[in-house]
Amino acid sequence: MKTVTLIALSLSIAIVLAFTAAWSQDDMTVVDNAAFNNPQRTPSVFVHDEHNETAGIDDCAECHHVYEGGKRVEDESSEGQSCSECHDLQGSGNQPSLIKAFHANCKGCHQEQGKGPIMCGECHIK
Amino acid sequence: MHSFYNFVSGPLAWVAFILFFGGSIYRIVSMLKLVAEKERFIFSYMSWRYSLRSIIHWIIPFATVNWRRQPVLTVVTFAFHLCLLATPIFLLSHVVLWDEAFSISWWTLPDAVADIMTIIVILGAVYFLVRRVTQPEVKFVTSVSDFVILAIVAAPFITGFLAYHQWLSYPLVMCLHVLAGDIMLAAIPFTRLSHMLFSPFTRAYMGSEFGKVRHARDW
Repeated sequence: MKTVTLIALSLSIAIVLAFTAAWSQDDMTVVDNAAFNNPQRTPSVFVHDEHNETAGIDDCAECHHVYEGGKRVEDESSEGQSCSECHDLQGSGNQPSLIKAFHANCKGCHQEQGKGPIMCGECHIK
Repeated sequence: MHSFYNFVSGPLAWVAFILFFGGSIYRIVSMLKLVAEKERFIFSYMSWRYSLRSIIHWIIPFATVNWRRQPVLTVVTFAFHLCLLATPIFLLSHVVLWDEAFSISWWTLPDAVADIMTIIVILGAVYFLVRRVTQPEVKFVTSVSDFVILAIVAAPFITGFLAYHQWLSYPLVMCLHVLAGDIMLAAIPFTRLSHMLFSPFTRAYMGSEFGKVRHARDW
């Protein structure tokens, strides 16, 4: 009985921890660059919650978009996925490479809005 | 600062590239027209064989007597010109911008290598500056414009180096870097930096005259 309780307890703790890591972005301060083999720049500074509060973004799909057949799917979002699941390092056709997708998503929006960093070293801080 | 950055990397960059390509074509065409007008006989002895023979000797370090006579200058000038040309073309952050703007991209240098190549360009510029000031035979043919074009060439690399390392005020340095690049591109056809365009023609002419008229080597 003791063993069962111990296993159940550690499992539930593990599940809670796993979900905390996946769903809460409180501790996110940089963009995940694990998909790059030999990154040349520091990961881009990005404090998820603070950014979205400042930018007034409520809709996850604003950044975590879903595209099908080259068209953006409304009312669908992809926040459970890694960007690199769709955007590989090379890119193909309409699918931008991972670097280009990151830059388009962040810098592209900043340029459109006239707010936020746009120069290399403003995000890739040494 | 962002609107200034967008200006120097947008409209002003277009102006710079148009001046660079348009100016280069204009300078080469008007040079050829001038030759055709005033010294048409040159075409009678221009030769591909002697032209290429001369160019090939002069673009290889130590392949000419003059390169061997001045070994330090030879090493510096080859390292300088190679890095000057290759670094901006194959720099990752430049290619990223080409890709964003026109969806074109190509092979890139690792940033650490580009960093060293940038230092080589800056040190080369310092060497040429010291040489102009201290060597009597160079000083004799030096005018103010020579220092100006040296500064025009060094500026994009100094600011690029500072921007990469994010020393001093990054946004300002970044803007100055793009501005310096625009100025350099636009200056190439209209200053002595035009040796970039004319040197193959000069070499071809010398090679042809030495080869076909004087039956001598020009290296």
